[in-house]
Amino acid sequence: MTPTETKGGAAMKMRTVFCGLLLVAAAHTHAGEAHVGLDWLKIVAFAAHQTDYSGVFVYQHDNHFETSRITHVVEEDGEYEKLESLDGPRREIVRHHGQVWCLINHQMVQTDSRQVRSMFPALLPEQLIALGENYHAMQVGTERVAGYNTQVIMFKPRDNYRYVHKMWAHTDSGLLLKAAVMGDKNQMIEQYAFTQLQIGGNIDRSWINDAIRKHEQPAATPRSAKGDTPVNSGWVVGGIPGGFKKTLEIERTLRGRHVPVTQIVYSDGLSAISIFIEPDDEDENDSDGLISRGAVNLYHKAVGKHWITVVGEVPPHTVIQVLDSIRYNGKR
Amino acid sequence: MKTEISALMDGELFEDETEGLLDRVKRDTAAHKDWEVYHLIGDVLRQPEYIHCDLSAKVRECMRNEPTVLAPRGHAMKRKIRAIALSAAASVSAIGIVAWMSLQVGSEAMPQIAMQQPGARPASAQIQPKSNDYLMAHQEFSPSTDMSGGASYIRTAAYSSDKK
Repeated sequence: MTPTETKGGAAMKMRTVFCGLLLVAAAHTHAGEAHVGLDWLKIVAFAAHQTDYSGVFVYQHDNHFETSRITHVVEEDGEYEKLESLDGPRREIVRHHGQVWCLINHQMVQTDSRQVRSMFPALLPEQLIALGENYHAMQVGTERVAGYNTQVIMFKPRDNYRYVHKMWAHTDSGLLLKAAVMGDKNQMIEQYAFTQLQIGGNIDRSWINDAIRKHEQPAATPRSAKGDTPVNSGWVVGGIPGGFKKTLEIERTLRGRHVPVTQIVYSDGLSAISIFIEPDDEDENDSDGLISRGAVNLYHKAVGKHWITVVGEVPPHTVIQVLDSIRYNGKR
Repeated sequence: MKTEISALMDGELFEDETEGLLDRVKRDTAAHKDWEVYHLIGDVLRQPEYIHCDLSAKVRECMRNEPTVLAPRGHAMKRKIRAIALSAAASVSAIGIVAWMSLQVGSEAMPQIAMQQPGARPASAQIQPKSNDYLMAHQEFSPSTDMSGGASYIRTAAYSSDKK
């Protein structure tokens, strides 16, 4: 058997698994639309990690449009993924096992990252339950995207602390072919959509060696081996919107920081809010304020002797409310 | 009426239908407004360098009178003032968007138009390398990365093309 045939066989097997999942989804149709929406989410997350694909997509936010190519392949040692810009200056991000390399000044540089990302989606059953409590999930028909048939699923939040999410999932593989985030008045916040896509088959893998293995310097190993330490930081967030559950509380390193940074992550199943707390280094360049890019809002503020940053795929007023409610409760 | 105007703009109406419709558009101010909005949307989709629209001029003027949102960090007092300035700026831009939304013809497929002026770039253009580290660190743990894989990293500033 040639390697290509192996890939083909694997693809067939994957397809069988998806069909199984789809049947499960179909069986639940009578159990209510919400359930179906959540089942689709599981299928989408599974497909994103397990499918080989390569395609071109357009990302749109505010009045910006940008075109990028994304390639995702599953090798024996995990997933490899490359995102490259097709307009403007050359930009590239490569991911493998939770490690991230960025093209900075024409060189691939590894950014600090958590050790090894789990192979399977981090969507936990309790997160799916939380999701059902916070969003009204519904199937809104089928549409064609990039030449493929898709199932359209809509998640409408039950309050205004989060955005509306609309997803177009490939009916065969479950891959997300188009996704839109909208505000409470249905205004577009951001959208990304494939314009051309190859699913499975013979996908170029030559970049894996060029991009990663070549740049994997010995120095990178001890740093990533150090990893992140789970902590009980003693910080409490009184104003976290209902339905956001704490999924992580760690002490980690961030590029260019001399001291560890505390990161607390809350998730409602579709979006996450990260809180970063570090000692205020009185850097004159730091400024309080709000920054947005598409659906992501970031808010910085100095609180006492600390410099706090809140980031999330949630509306600006949510990140501001979260930051203003952070208090130190003392370690127990 | 709206569908007819849209069909007319796409050149899908017959000549006799066109004449009747144009007459109605001239007389009906609401239809005239629709006509203008549809052309504005078309312009925006074609991405010209400048969009000619009364609304954009008004929003631009409001923005010009606003204090800058981001400024170097100073004393606690200054910070408080900025916080107020920030919320004021936010409410003005919110009015801008709501005003535009009320003009919009009620479809989510139409792009939201953020009126911008070169003089006062929005905060998104001022992402510092330091802020980018937080965006990257957040993305690792976001469910959006589980759904769309690396495509969600397009939101990080390392990938941003509007970086100066």
